[in-house]
Amino acid sequence: MSVERESSRVLPSIPASPGLIASVLRLLAFVDDLPRGSTGMLKFGEMGLILLESRKICWAVSRSMRLRLTDILRNQSTPPLPREAVEEIYRRCKGDGKPIGEALVMSGLVTEAGLRVALFKYNGEAIAHLAGSGMAPETFVSHTRTGYDPKFSFSPCEVLAMLGSLDDPARALAAQIELANTLVPDSFGAAFVRSDAAAGALVIAVDRACDLPVVDLVEVCNWTAGLFDVAHTFDPEASLARATWGGQLALVAWRSKDVVYVGLCASRAAAARLLSRLETSAKSSGVIAAAARYGGPA
Amino acid sequence: MRPLGPPLGGGLESNPLDLVCAPASLRTGALLDAATSERVRERLQGLAATLPDLFGTLEPTCLDRIAERLGGEAGDATFGEILLLSDKSLHVIQPLPGRPGVALVAECPASSSIGLVLSAIRARVAELGAE
Repeated sequence: MSVERESSRVLPSIPASPGLIASVLRLLAFVDDLPRGSTGMLKFGEMGLILLESRKICWAVSRSMRLRLTDILRNQSTPPLPREAVEEIYRRCKGDGKPIGEALVMSGLVTEAGLRVALFKYNGEAIAHLAGSGMAPETFVSHTRTGYDPKFSFSPCEVLAMLGSLDDPARALAAQIELANTLVPDSFGAAFVRSDAAAGALVIAVDRACDLPVVDLVEVCNWTAGLFDVAHTFDPEASLARATWGGQLALVAWRSKDVVYVGLCASRAAAARLLSRLETSAKSSGVIAAAARYGGPA
Repeated sequence: MRPLGPPLGGGLESNPLDLVCAPASLRTGALLDAATSERVRERLQGLAATLPDLFGTLEPTCLDRIAERLGGEAGDATFGEILLLSDKSLHVIQPLPGRPGVALVAECPASSSIGLVLSAIRARVAELGAE
């Protein structure tokens, strides 16, 4: 079994709740509002910090958090990584001032993908703790570089989706796979559900190209939810939508059970390709039979 | 209000798409053509009633920022053409460029060719713009 698939055994300990999601949104919106390319340290007084590289989250620390990165890394392999081997690398990194995750990859104990999953969970949990503390960021200290590999950094909307996924990790994983299999070049997207855990749309998955400000991501998801809600009043079976704006841009939305997907397309051609993929998907699953007929001009 | 396809107001034989359309208010969701047959009104009034919920409900600069991330230009900070599909029906909302606050709403069976439907609707929008 791969390290990535095993990762679901180690879930962050913070449950999704309306208060938490709202607090996390405020915190992540603060990150989004920093100037483009911001690199440095966002400080929360004595409570903790977030390290950013080009406005992406590399590392987060919260004093109230008990979960350790090494525990996540050890437990997402079968059998768990030997504690002695991990602690030896940890000691060496502490002495050299190097990030332990990357040293574990160098040692061959952990794959890059496995490290990314572990860091994702660790940072997500730390951010949830920071947001839950109610403390606003106090200062941002600019650095020229954090020293973290951009491969292991996360956009605010990825972190938001990770926390949203806690509501139902299996559903979120399926949504992530659907996005990966369906989105086309020149598009990015997200999946969301309605949940008691959020006042509006609860984002549960985003693809890695999606770097929208979290406020805008939630706004467009809420609009899409409203679109299907109002459509339900005159056509309860409506499951596919396309809306255009500007000269070339388009939003394509589709529903599958209780999950709604949004694809944002940089061109009408991308929107047409996305609809074509939905057609293929419809043929195999029958979920969106209407898409199978879509062949009109973009 | 009238079904699309010549002759106007004709039956299925003369309107093979079985497409009906009418202008409606984006602000109130009301159909704007008083001379609407009850049959056509029944098919369109549900769609028209949703217009106030679909237009002007997004934060105005949101689409601008998304456009920026997509590498495009937003133009108007609201959606243009909206299509909704199901196994049963195709619904289209097309704001009229020359008449702010008014959109053409249209409906046809899902078995219709979407390409032909969109062409017919765009032609009707052009006609309305010229009136």
